[in-house]
Amino acid sequence: MIRLIAWRLVQLPIILLVIYSATLFLAWQIPGSPLDTPDARRPPEEVIRAMEAQYKLDSFWSFYWSYLDNASGVRYAREWVSGDAEREREAALAAGKPLLQRRMFDLGPSLQYDDWRVSEIIAASLPVSVAIGCLAILVATVVGVAAGVAGAARPGSALDAGTFVVALVGVSLPNFVTGTVLLILFPVALGWGSIGRLAGPGDLVLPAVTLSLPFAAYIARLTRMGMIEALSADYVRTARAKGVSPRGVLLRHALKNAGLPVLSYLGPATALAVTGSFVVERLFSLPGLGQHFVNAVLNKDLFLIIGVVMVFATLLVLLNLAVDVLYRWIDPRIG
Amino acid sequence: MWKLLLPLVLVAMLLVGVGLMEPASPRADVVVINRGDCNTLDLQQMSWLQDYRVAAALYEGLLNSDRFSAEFSSVPGVAESWNISEDGLVYTFKLRGDAKWSNGKPVTAEDFRYSWRRALLPDLKNDYATLFRLIQGAGEFYRWRAEELKKFEAESAGAARPVEARKLWAETVRRFDETVGVRAPDARTLVVTLERPVAYFLELMAFESFFPVYGPVVERYEQPSAVTGRLEFSSQWTRPPLLVSNGKFRLEGWRFKRDMLLVRNEHYWNQADIHADSILMPSVSDPNAQVMAFQTRTVDWLTDMVPDYRAEMLAEKEAFYREHWDEYQKLKSQGLDPVAIDRRLPPDPRKRVHSFPTFGTYWYNFNCLPALPDGRTNPLADARVRRALSMVIDKRNMVENIRRSGETVAGSIVPPGSIRRYTPPKGLEYDVEGGRKLLAEAGFPGGKGLPEIEVLFNRDGGHDLIAQAMKRDWEMNLGVTVRLVQKEIKVLRNDLKNHNFMVSRGSWFGDYGDPTTFLDVNRSDDNNNDRGYVSAEFDELMKRSDAEREPAKRMELLREAEAIVVERDMPLVPLFYFSSTMLFDPDKLSGVSPHARQKQDIGLLGVIGQKTAGGRGPFAPREVPVVPAGGGAR
Repeated sequence: MIRLIAWRLVQLPIILLVIYSATLFLAWQIPGSPLDTPDARRPPEEVIRAMEAQYKLDSFWSFYWSYLDNASGVRYAREWVSGDAEREREAALAAGKPLLQRRMFDLGPSLQYDDWRVSEIIAASLPVSVAIGCLAILVATVVGVAAGVAGAARPGSALDAGTFVVALVGVSLPNFVTGTVLLILFPVALGWGSIGRLAGPGDLVLPAVTLSLPFAAYIARLTRMGMIEALSADYVRTARAKGVSPRGVLLRHALKNAGLPVLSYLGPATALAVTGSFVVERLFSLPGLGQHFVNAVLNKDLFLIIGVVMVFATLLVLLNLAVDVLYRWIDPRIG
Repeated sequence: MWKLLLPLVLVAMLLVGVGLMEPASPRADVVVINRGDCNTLDLQQMSWLQDYRVAAALYEGLLNSDRFSAEFSSVPGVAESWNISEDGLVYTFKLRGDAKWSNGKPVTAEDFRYSWRRALLPDLKNDYATLFRLIQGAGEFYRWRAEELKKFEAESAGAARPVEARKLWAETVRRFDETVGVRAPDARTLVVTLERPVAYFLELMAFESFFPVYGPVVERYEQPSAVTGRLEFSSQWTRPPLLVSNGKFRLEGWRFKRDMLLVRNEHYWNQADIHADSILMPSVSDPNAQVMAFQTRTVDWLTDMVPDYRAEMLAEKEAFYREHWDEYQKLKSQGLDPVAIDRRLPPDPRKRVHSFPTFGTYWYNFNCLPALPDGRTNPLADARVRRALSMVIDKRNMVENIRRSGETVAGSIVPPGSIRRYTPPKGLEYDVEGGRKLLAEAGFPGGKGLPEIEVLFNRDGGHDLIAQAMKRDWEMNLGVTVRLVQKEIKVLRNDLKNHNFMVSRGSWFGDYGDPTTFLDVNRSDDNNNDRGYVSAEFDELMKRSDAEREPAKRMELLREAEAIVVERDMPLVPLFYFSSTMLFDPDKLSGVSPHARQKQDIGLLGVIGQKTAGGRGPFAPREVPVVPAGGGAR
């Protein structure tokens, strides 16, 4: 177990480096200049040159290395070792200035939101996305597993068909439809909850439900499949023969095995859910992370694109690791 | 079994933790959805309209725009008086003694010098550095600094040189003091020397880019980098509680993509001008959610309404006017502004949608260069062809059947009524016969011999519909073949810059109250002359207008220059003037300016009849004073 964790953590920086290179390579191909605002005004050529030099946008490799230098902590370490950081600190103190905050992992400025650094943007939006994502996964797991078990208990019954139809709808209906319906139903028609602002934890419910539907549907199908397979297995027959109640067979014996595929799905699903959904965030005006995946690309905000992709990649790796660890712990057969 | 439940319990715990971290948004006197979001509150890096609306509330310049005057006049702000030298080169501003920052400190001439120096640094992302170059020595200063920075970085080659970096910065400050024409003989006098006479310089003083930031705080977040010599800055100071401002409001809260809260600045010199104690701007980006937020009364003003059904809403308002037609006509003939008219009509939910002309024009560019990017001869280099194409576009159809949002057909670049004392030329009439004749004269009778015309535009925003209508007009009326090419906005911008198009979509919004803010793009040496249009005659008229001191004569020269562009040479064909559609209840909210300049100041908002903590009586709505018929121009 320790070896698994250590090995994965060693892999993490390598994975991130590969993803960084690929992302920057692709993002660099986006046409136009990230410093260009889409209204019709264009600053003089020398101003553009000066800005490009400042953000190292003049060449791919200078941007590649300088970003890596800043974001990886290498620059921080170097300045610390060489004593530059210390000298700068003294100079700033002598000039009577508060020290400009040196970040160990400096993700750079946002080119679109001039007043915010990428790290601040992520710090402000990730908690919101995490809250909604976790709530959505929670709802999806409870609803999905319940529906799957109910369907598998009596395959072919009306209940089974019903959950199948609901699952189908959950997978096929896009978020913006279910979300809009919920918005019109609750805040607009019934006056429950608010639109356009996050007034309290209660306002997280509707977006979380919207976000949970496709996950719930998929989990329901996974559970049903696993359950049906498990119910025809020998150990279930033994349990029945032993006189375990039908409920006990379903929940204590069959679900234990049928739950494993669901668990392995929960890793990537959670990573996906907690990094936000563009549609759900836009619809419910939530300040989450998902919007940046789309907007940053449209604006060619290079620092932000890389920042959010790195966060997503890190979460994906860590959550997959968490799932693997849980797996071994729940099912000792996996070594 | 309980082992399986563990992940769920973990997730639930995490959720509760995060949920507790979420404090609710505060309530405020006025709630505004200001387009989507603010990008920056740093005046020297600003370029978005929605940012300027907030900047106008937070900061104050030497002069202010009176948004409720018929002429959108510039009135004294921080400067209580000023005088201009005989040759029009030296402006001496006298600052008022009671102008204060939100921390109680007086606003000084030095604050302006600091801010303008900052605006002139290549270290910052300032789109408007060009405007500052009207000041003597400013262009030279900018170039010098950019050059020095380049040298510094090359010499350091990655090594830290803190001493040299500080020296370069000290030298920069010294150079600014010595060579740039902004001087402060005492704390309350600012003397500005210009490179050449600029008739609209006072208008610029009311433009937010020239407003001051609070040096003592901003400076603390700037520091020359030891490696590059560049001023490294942290925008930390634009956040509460650090941001110090000198306008009607101060910044109380700003949460990224959540909300921004402004509260009354107790130190502002003109408290009578503030009508609300607090203004909240939640960040809502989805157009439908914006409208729903307004309809559920969460929001008092939606500044930019974009969903397609705005056309239906405007049609309903028109129906409302029809129901009260006689009264409406009577009020209109009294010369009341549109919001004032609405207030005098009976309450009705249909009144809440408004469409005001905006300080912007939608047009199509023609490439005027002799050869196309692929080397072929450019048939559009002939002004007659451009004129023919311009004459046969049915703009009325575009406005009435496609846009349907209360916009008007454009003949000129400058929207009429937006700039005082300036009447733009009429432009070309819709004339299919005349267009055909002109095209035949140019050697392409019935469109024969004319190569396929490529029309470039960007996706979304309904630009495709306009392009299709234009294609149909050209094909049906002139017999030419047209190909539509759709690209992403960033690609389009790149193509425009490189003149890589035949015909392309364009638009322009003005910044300050002078025709040059629109007309300069046609100067042959202008950086935004995407069309490659060169006219010695136009340039000459513009140059003469620069030198002309008599306002009436100057406006006439500019009018002549614009007429060359929109009646004879047609490097571009104006299609319509933008208008913006917004939602607010005229019986509740006051402070939204209906003026054609459409530069709003969020700081002017107030709820009618509400008493503010400032201790004044209930607030009566602000309206444009009625101008006696025929007495428009002073």
